[in-house]
Formats: sequence, C-alpha cells, structure tokens
Amino acid sequence: MNIQDNYLNNKKNIFFSDNKDIQTHRDKLINIFENDRFDKKNNESLKNINLKNFIDFKYKYLIPEETSVINNNQENSYSIVSVNGQCSSFKDDQIEITKILEEDYNDFSKNDTIENNDHFVNLNSLFLNSGFKIVIKKNNNIKIKISNIITDDNLTIFQKNNYICEEGSSLNLIEEYENKNNSTSNILNVIKLEKNSQLNHFLIQDNSPNHNLIITTHSSCKKDSTYTQKVYNFSEGYVRNFHYSELIEANSEVDLQGIFFIKDNNTTNNKTFVKHLAEDCKSNQVYKGILNDRSKATYFSNTHVDQVAQKTEGYQLSKGILLSENASYFSKPELKIYADDVKCSHGSTIGPIDENAIFYLRSRGMSKIAATKILISSFINEELSSIDNEQMSEIIQKKLVRYLSKVK
Amino acid sequence: MNSETLNTLDSYSKNKYKYGFVTEIDEEKPKKGLNEDIIKFISLKKNEPEWMLEWRLKAFSKWKKMKEPKWANLSFPEIDYQDIYYYSAPKGFEKKPKDLSEVDPKLIETYNKLGIPLEEQKVLAGVAVDVVFDSVSVATTYKGELEKLGIIFCSIGEAIQKHPDLIKKYLGSVIPAGDHSFSALNSAVFTDGSFVYIPEGVKCPMELSTYFRINAENTGQFERTLIIADKGSYVSYLEGCTAPKRDDNQLHAANVELIALEDAEIKYSTVQNWYPGDEEGKGGIYNFVTKRGLCAGKNSKISWTQVETGSAITWKYPSCILKGDNSIGEFYSVAITNNFQQADTGTKMTHIGKNTKSKIISKGISLGNSQNTYRGEVSFLRKAEKARNYTQCDSLLVGNQCGAHTVPYIDSKNNTAVIEHEASTSKINEDQLYYCRQRGLSHEEAVSLIVNGFCKQVLQELPMEFAVEAQKLVSISLEGSVG
Repeated sequence: MNIQDNYLNNKKNIFFSDNKDIQTHRDKLINIFENDRFDKKNNESLKNINLKNFIDFKYKYLIPEETSVINNNQENSYSIVSVNGQCSSFKDDQIEITKILEEDYNDFSKNDTIENNDHFVNLNSLFLNSGFKIVIKKNNNIKIKISNIITDDNLTIFQKNNYICEEGSSLNLIEEYENKNNSTSNILNVIKLEKNSQLNHFLIQDNSPNHNLIITTHSSCKKDSTYTQKVYNFSEGYVRNFHYSELIEANSEVDLQGIFFIKDNNTTNNKTFVKHLAEDCKSNQVYKGILNDRSKATYFSNTHVDQVAQKTEGYQLSKGILLSENASYFSKPELKIYADDVKCSHGSTIGPIDENAIFYLRSRGMSKIAATKILISSFINEELSSIDNEQMSEIIQKKLVRYLSKVK
Repeated sequence: MNSETLNTLDSYSKNKYKYGFVTEIDEEKPKKGLNEDIIKFISLKKNEPEWMLEWRLKAFSKWKKMKEPKWANLSFPEIDYQDIYYYSAPKGFEKKPKDLSEVDPKLIETYNKLGIPLEEQKVLAGVAVDVVFDSVSVATTYKGELEKLGIIFCSIGEAIQKHPDLIKKYLGSVIPAGDHSFSALNSAVFTDGSFVYIPEGVKCPMELSTYFRINAENTGQFERTLIIADKGSYVSYLEGCTAPKRDDNQLHAANVELIALEDAEIKYSTVQNWYPGDEEGKGGIYNFVTKRGLCAGKNSKISWTQVETGSAITWKYPSCILKGDNSIGEFYSVAITNNFQQADTGTKMTHIGKNTKSKIISKGISLGNSQNTYRGEVSFLRKAEKARNYTQCDSLLVGNQCGAHTVPYIDSKNNTAVIEHEASTSKINEDQLYYCRQRGLSHEEAVSLIVNGFCKQVLQELPMEFAVEAQKLVSISLEGSVG
C-alpha cells in the first residue's frame, strides 16, 4: 500500500487529522514522499535499510487499556511506564506531564534545519498517534526513568515527545527500550533547554530481532545550558539513532555519545548533527561500534559552525571494530565551518582488534577469546566508566557480558 | 585579527592576476554549440579513424541522458553547453610544424611570459614539453631522445593514428565514458591532450611536462591524457595550467587516465593556476576534472600531487583504484581559495587487492569569501586483506567570510583492514605569529612562513622542476591575503 492510501485509511487513528494547518503540512509531506520515493542512491542516510518495512508497512495502533503508571516514591525521582507511546497526565510542584498537543506538532516537525529532509521524521509527523510532553519546572533537580512498553505484535507506534527544561532546572533522564515483539517504533524527542538548565539523557536499547526502533532527538540549547546524551545500543533488531542539536545561545554545550554492539544480520544507522549558532559553545560527538557476524553499520557526524559562532570548540570521534570478515562499517565525519576563530577536529578509525595486543595477552597465558573480550571491554571502557549512575552501570555491564558471550 | 593583518590582506588582494594577457592569433573555429555535427567536425579535423568517431558519438548519446553530478558543495549558474566553442585551433595548424622555428613567435612569447622552459630554457631545465595551446599540440620537444628508449610521448591525436592498439585497449578503461556527465562530455568532444607509454622496465630519465593554456574566449578545453606504465617502468609527469584573464566563465572538463602495470610507478604532479575570477567573483574558469589511476598490477604505485590555486570553481578528485596486490596510492594536495573561489576537491581510494596501501595528505587554505571543501572517499572492499589507509586533512581559515569543510567517506568491508582519518580546522596561530615577528620578520613574511610550513608536507612531494614554480604560486595566491 502506498503511503498516501495508508494515511487516508487510518486517518481516524492519527492525531490532529482534523486540524487544517496540520493537514496542509501533511499534504506537503505526502507530496515529498510521492516525488522522492525514498531515493536510496541520493540519500546516504538510507544506506543498508530494508526500506520495505517502512514504506509498505501495515498501519496498526491500539489505544492501551491500562494507563501508564507514574511513581514518585523517592524524592525528586519519578518512574514512568509508557504504554504504546502513551502516558497519563500528572502534575505536581516539580513536573507536569500532559498529552502532546496540537501546538506542539510544529516543533521540529516543521523545522527546516534537517538537511535533505529526514524521511523518518516526516513519517513520524504524518502518522503521529501517540506522545507526551514533560515540563521540568524552574530550578528543580529531578530524575525520571521511562520504560517503553508495547502491548501487541505488529503495532506501528509513531510517537512524539516534548521535553522542556525550564530555567535553572536539571534533569536526569533514563529511557529504556526493551521490546520483545514484532513492532515498529518511530519516536521523535524534541528537547528544549532554557537558560542555565541541564539534561543528562541515557538511552538503553535492547530489542528483539524483529523489533524496529527509529529514534530521533532534536535538542536546542539556550544560554549556559548543557545537553548530554549517551546511547547504548544492544538491540538485535534494527535501530536508527539520529540526533540533532542546535546551540542557539552563547556558552551552551552539547555532548553526544553512543556505543553500539551489533551482530548477526543486524543493521544500525547512526547520525549526530551539531549546529553551532552562537559564540563560545562547545560540542563533542563520540561514537564507537563493535560489529560481529554479517552486521552493518553507518555513522554520520556533522559539525556545522555558523559565521557568528566564533570561539567554537567542536570535536568528533568515531571508532569501529570489525570482529568478522563479513561485517561492514561506513562512516562520514563531516565538518562545515564558516567562522575562523574555531578549534574543530575529527578522527575516525576502523579496523580489527590490534593483533599485537592479542599476542601480548596470549603470551601471558590467556586464550584468544579471553584476550579478545578484554580488548573489546577496554575499547569502550572510557565511556562505561564515565557513567555515574551505579544502577545504570550495572545494567550495561550485564548486557555487555551477554554480547561478549557470543563473541568467538 | 588585528588591523595590520587586514591591511596586509588588503594590499595583497589588489595584486592582479599576472598571467592575464591574450595572444592575438587568428583562430579557426566552428559555430558554438554541442551536437553530432560538431563531434564529426572535430573528428574530421583531427583526421581520426572511423572507430574513434563511433566511440565519441556513443559517449555523446550517453551524455544526452545524463545530469551533472550535484553532490558537490558548489554553487554556480547552470552551464549552457550550447554556448561554448568545442573546437578552437590556431589557423594553419592542420600541418604540424617540424621544429620550434616554424611555430608562431607570438605563441613562444606567450609561453615565455609564463616562464615555461621552451626554446633555450628547455635545454637548461632538461624538461621535455608537450605544449597544448588551446586544442592543438604545438610542439613536442625531446621526442627523439625519448624515442630511443621506446617511450612514446605525443599528443593523444597523434597516438590515435599511430598507436591505435594501445588507445583501443586503454582509452576509457579507467574512466568509462558513462561514468558521469563530465566524463561523457569529455569523451565526446576531447580535442587534445597527451599520451605517454613507457615500455617494460624503462625508467623515464626526465620529467615529462605539459603546459595547458586556454586562450580563445568562450572555448571549453577538453583535453584527454592517457599514461600507461608497463611492467617495472617509472615515469614522472608534470602538468601546469594557466589561463588569461576573461570576464566570462570558461568551462574546462579534462579526463586523465593512468594505468600502472606490475611493479610500475607513475607520479603525476599538477600545478593548477587557471584564472580564478576577479575580486568580485566575476569570470574565472570552471574546472571539472576527472583524474583516475588504476594500479592494475602487483606492487604498482600511483602518486598524485596537486597544488590548486586557480579556477573560480574546482571540482576535482584524483583517485586511485588499487587493484593489484601490494599496490600503493598516494594523494598530496594543497588547495588555496581566495575572493569568491570555490573548491570541492579531494580523492577516492578504492582498495581491492591485498596489502594495498594509501595515504592522503590534504591541506586547504581559505581566504576572502571563498569556500574550500575536502571530499574524499576511502573504501575497503571484501578482499582487501590487510589494507591500510592514513588520511590527514587540515584546513586553515583566514578571515571570517570564508568557509572550510571536510567531508570524508569511510567504508570498510574487511575486518583486517585498518583505516585512520584525522582532520583539524583552525586559524593561524597567534603565538607562532608573535614568535616570528619577535625574530624580526614582517607580518606578511611571518604569515607566509607559517603557511609554507603548513603546506610543506605536500610541496616537498613535487619534483624539483615544479617545486620552485609551486612555491611561487603559493606565495602569489597568498599575496591576496596573508603574505
């Protein structure tokens, strides 16, 4: 079924389909799909993707019977279970959770900053059927943990979440994606950091082989704010991590890190894009990947420095280890610089595990497999040891051990 | 940036293009425009055999179906292919002169202004020159000496007639006509260029050199160069380009193919100084060049060195296909853009064979309102066991109106191959400037010294004959800006 028919048939299930403005925008999107037809040749970000899953999909959405649970047993700490992308409303002195509203649709969905039109964001806007909005109120320091649960097989979730950190607030956000069914989630997170606010965003992804996860975040940082994101991808199903950041006011910072562990026939596509639009800002993009069996990965990073963004510091690093002869890795670290007083650099390496290091360990009496495992662990040690949350650190260690147990 | 730097920039940006003069010679050219008739006309003028004409027409029919590649970070008005002369030859040149005394003295004068070692200079410099004046190869020197060794160094037109076997075998084997629209265009209408064949086991004793020069207004120059190094041979080839000043943009779409067989080595050096346009970005050459080398045999090596200072638009990616086991590809580049120049240049290293190695060193310097992009692809295919790549690209920005971009594509399909890439972007270090000035250097001398140091890694790869000219060119280009 083509995208247009798919949309028209399921219109009643889709958010805001009676809003005229939004409808006009969606008509435009349908037009884009009709004209472009997911042209793989001219759009690198579609590399390695099995497009059939995303163009010819069968739309299915169920409104969950049970509403999500919001707990704040501990002080300043909330745990949320989002079911099929929905979350019930909640309000106290520190935070406010509501459904996603029509006026929120325009944030980023209509944003032109994404180069070449990101098809998956457009699909999200077109079929939007769930999502919520969380506001962290002024000068609060809180923790939120969100577990994402999908109730049925073959669901297509198109979810949009807005996070707003008001002035002086600080948020520690942990998102878990651990789904065992054959569903597809397309999630768009739009994050706004007001003056002097902070957000530490952890994403743990561990889905079963037939679950597709497409996750896109867009963050915009105002003066003195900091956005940190750490993505740990252990999924056996397809994952797309695309993260866009804009530093719109002076002295703001963004740090995007990711590690992916893939194996079998799995594919993952990753992208980080940082736009420096003000002076004295800093950015850092680090992605590391370990690829086994016949897996494939891509990583695109892009640092864009506007003419006004003097005194910028922007760093990129991408590293990949290929454990098997059939794995492949494509990386494209891009710098676009229009200001002269900047310090920008990127580094990228792809290769096998260092043979000399293996030899050293083996000469100390270690088996080849044990040596390989030690070297993989040390490859990502820097990222793992920087996690200051003990519980998180433990979860990730366990998943790492599980991944390594399959390495031969 | 302090006011002194700005003043220096200003004084130098007034420095005019030194090679902007036009030699007035009667020219014979057909009407503007691109169609089958013009291709037949070119083929007839060049006295080409039937199969060559067919080859051209085939390429033309491919070109008609193609669109220009759009991925480069360049902006320029649409090229009107029907508004270009595709053939321009100084009159009376259908019959080639036997020696230099028969050549129009005005031509010789032109080259003397450029400082090319022709006439007496050629003896001193010891360089054999195959000069291309617009489309016809004017004089080929040192031919006899090379002939003794069995080396063929002639214009491509001559090669088509005298060595059809080699041409049939190798022309278009590295850059197929249908590769992209500029290669198809070149294949259809190429008028001249050089042909080099080095026989087995011969080390070419001198540097071979061609000087390209666009002279007539509204003339596209489409030269085609083919270099074949047979087993165990070695050749170093120099190419230099300069164009006189014009207001209109001119199109230049060359194809260069290199083939290195077993144990052979080709070193290809370019100094490109086409007219870059004036201070307001008016005029200048559109340079769309396809250069590709094939390391066909084991242990072969191809090395590209380029100094790009000219052209309003540069679109150029000298590449290596590393097919033979243990073959080596190298790419050294300095690209300087000033005023409204745009350069999108880099390389492509495709590793196919085992133990293949490649090295990329790219230095970009952006000044004024220019945009300078490095775009390079390194790919390891499945069978490229133990392949190795090292890439370094550094950019220097001078002034806050220009841009420096780095777009590497890194693709690995082999788990024993190692790929390393690093890049940095910065402005001229104030501390270094301060240090130099303290030692008594003027501001511009200091900047020049630092920039020369920045480029040194690449400039030292150039052959002696070229290094001096290249260094001069770098300083001339910097004159408009830093010193």
